[in-house]
Amino acid sequence: MEKSNFKIKCEQMFKGIPASSGIAISKVFILEGEAVKIDSAPIDDTEIETEVEKFKAAIQKAKSELKTLKSKAAQRMGEENARIFDAHQLLLEDDVVIDETIGGIRQENKGADAAFYEIMQKYLQTMEKSDEFFRSRISDIIDVKRRVIKHIQGNRSDYLNKMQGSAVIAARDLTPSDTVKLDRRKVKGFVTDFGGKTSHVVIMARSMEVPAVVGLHKLTEYVHEGDRIIVDGFEGKVLINPDEKTIKFYRQLQERLDDTLIRSQEIRDFPCITLDGKAIELSANLEFPDEVDAVKKHGAKGVGLFRSDYLYLKSSNLPTEEEQLQEYLKIIRKTSPDPVIIRTMDVGGDKRPLSIAIPPEENPFLGWRAVRISLERKEIFHAQLRAILRASAEGNVKILIPMISGFDELVECKTAIQKAKLALKKDKLPYDKNIEVGVMIEVPSAALMTDKIAPEVDFLSIGTNDLVQYMLAVDRGNERIAYLYKHLHPAVLRIIRKIIYDGHQAGVWVGMCGEMAGDPLATLILLGLDLDEFSVSPSAVPEIKNIIRSSDYRESAKIAQKALQFEKASDVEKFMTKIIRKKFKNLIL
Amino acid sequence: MVQKEVEIKNKLGLHARPAALLVQTASKFKSDVYLGKNDHEVNGKSIMGVMMLAAEMGSMLVITTKGADEEDAMNALFELFENKFNED
Repeated sequence: MEKSNFKIKCEQMFKGIPASSGIAISKVFILEGEAVKIDSAPIDDTEIETEVEKFKAAIQKAKSELKTLKSKAAQRMGEENARIFDAHQLLLEDDVVIDETIGGIRQENKGADAAFYEIMQKYLQTMEKSDEFFRSRISDIIDVKRRVIKHIQGNRSDYLNKMQGSAVIAARDLTPSDTVKLDRRKVKGFVTDFGGKTSHVVIMARSMEVPAVVGLHKLTEYVHEGDRIIVDGFEGKVLINPDEKTIKFYRQLQERLDDTLIRSQEIRDFPCITLDGKAIELSANLEFPDEVDAVKKHGAKGVGLFRSDYLYLKSSNLPTEEEQLQEYLKIIRKTSPDPVIIRTMDVGGDKRPLSIAIPPEENPFLGWRAVRISLERKEIFHAQLRAILRASAEGNVKILIPMISGFDELVECKTAIQKAKLALKKDKLPYDKNIEVGVMIEVPSAALMTDKIAPEVDFLSIGTNDLVQYMLAVDRGNERIAYLYKHLHPAVLRIIRKIIYDGHQAGVWVGMCGEMAGDPLATLILLGLDLDEFSVSPSAVPEIKNIIRSSDYRESAKIAQKALQFEKASDVEKFMTKIIRKKFKNLIL
Repeated sequence: MVQKEVEIKNKLGLHARPAALLVQTASKFKSDVYLGKNDHEVNGKSIMGVMMLAAEMGSMLVITTKGADEEDAMNALFELFENKFNED
C-alpha cells in the first residue's frame, strides 16, 4: 500500500482495540507492512558475495512459493487462469533483471534488497508513464518485488534492531519473528493496523509492560516516522501530534498510574488468599529469561508458563541442549524455590521459526505446530526434554506440553520423556525423578476428554487464547470478527467448568495461563469454578491478587453459577462489570 | 540475422499472459531475440523488457532473431502473433 501524502499537522485521534494497558508519550517508529524498508547504506566489499548469494536464494524461495500458489490457483480457477503466475515466474527468471541486480551489488556496493528494489522501481516508473491499460500490470510487478524483498530480508527483525532512541512502534502487523531481536528497552508501546486482543504483539506488549492499541485499520498510512504520539492503552486511543493541552493531560494521568502501581506494590509480599481462607497459586507468564525480575517485582509465586519458543525463533540454528539448559537456569535461579513451568516448543501458527522449516500452509493455526512438530522432529524434542530435565535438578521445574489434541499424543510424549530420563541416567546426569508433567488444554477435543486425560498427568493448564479461538471458530488475529472473540462466552465458561471438574475428580490441580486468567472480569468466575492456579503477565499480578484477596470463595462460587446461566457473552460481561465496578471503585477497567 | 515486422492483433495487447507466452517461446531457442517498437529495443527473453514495450493492439513490432536457430525461432514467434496468442 502506498502511503498517503497527507501529513497530519494538527492533533488527530485514532480509535482501536485497547490491548495492553498503560500510557506512552513518545515518537513514532514505522515498521512498514509488506513494503519493507530498504536499507540504502553501501555494503562492505567483503559482504558482496554474501549479498549476491542472499539475492539468488531469495529468488529461489520466491519461485518455489509461486509454484505452490500456481498449483493452488489451477485447482481453484483452472489451468488457463493460473497462467498469470507464469508471468510472475518469468519475472523471477528474467536474466536481464537478475544481471542488473547482481551488477548493482558487485559494482555499486548495494545491499541485495536495495539493488533489486532500485531496478524494479526503474521499471515501475517507466510503466507508470505508459497509458492506462499497461499501468494495470503494475500490481503484478509490485507483487513479485515484494515477494523477493521479503525473502532477501528474511524477516523484519534486523531492521527493527536499528531503531534509534526510544519510540512507539507502528506497523500493519507484527509477527514473533519481527520482534525477536527487538531492543525491548527502547520500545514505549505498540500500535498496529491489524490484530485482535490476543495477537502476538499484545502478548509481547503485556510481558514488556508497555501499552498497545491494535485494530487501528489504516493508521500506518497516515502517520510518519518521528511524529509525536500518545498511546492510551486503556481506552484504545492513539493521538498523533497532540497539542500541549493533551500532552499535559496524559502526563498527569501517567503520574496517577505510577502512584497506583506503587500502592499495588504494597501488597506484593502478601499471600494470595481469599477472605474466607482459600489459597490460590498466582504465578507469572514469561516470554524471555531476562524478564524474570518482573516475576518477583510484581509479587508472583513462580512462573506458571515459560514460553520456550523464542529459543527456536531467534536464529536459524536450533538451540543446543546446553544452550537451553543455561536459559532455563537463568529463570530457575531467580525464582527458586517457587515452581517454574516450562512449556515445550510451541511454534507454528503465527510463530514462524527460523530454525525449523515449516512449509506454507493454508491454515497454519490448524497445521503443523507445537507438539505436532515435536513428535515428528523427535531429535528436537529429545534435546529440549533433556535440557528441561537437567534443569529440574536445580529447582522446582514442571513440564507442560502444548496443543495436545488426542490421547495418542499424550502417550507418545510420555514415552519421549521416559526416553530422555533413561538417556540422562545413562550419562549420569542428575534430574528430578518425580518431575510433574502437565498438558495444555487448548484444543476442544482434548477439553472434552479431560476425564480420560487428567488421570494420566500431574496437572492441566487451560490455554484460553487458543481454546477460545478453536471453540468459537474465531481467528484471533482477524480484527473484522474480533467482536466474536469473547472468553466470557457461556460456551467457554462451561467447558472451563468441565475441565476443572475432571481435573479435580482425577486428583490433579488445574491452572490457567491464557489472557483470560489476567482479565479482572473473569477472576471471580474462575475463582468460583475452583481454579487452583492463575498464571498471568507480571504486570497483571497485583490487580488479580488484589481482587482475590478482597473476595470470598463461597460468594464467588455463587457468582460463577449465575454467570454460567446467561445466554450471551455480552450479558456475562455486563453482569461481571457491574459486580467488579461496585467492589473495586479504583480499578481501571 | 532475421528480421520481420508484425502487428499486434489481440485485443488486450502484449499484457502479462501473452508476454509470458512470448518469453517462454523465445527462451526455447538458442538465438538471441529482440523486439523493437519505435526505436526502442528490448531483449525478447526478458519478461520485464517485453512488458516495458507496452505494446497495445494495432502497434507494430520488429522481431529480430540472431543465432544458430534464428529461422525456427522467427517462425515460432511469428506464429504466436498471427494466432493472437490463442486469445480472443
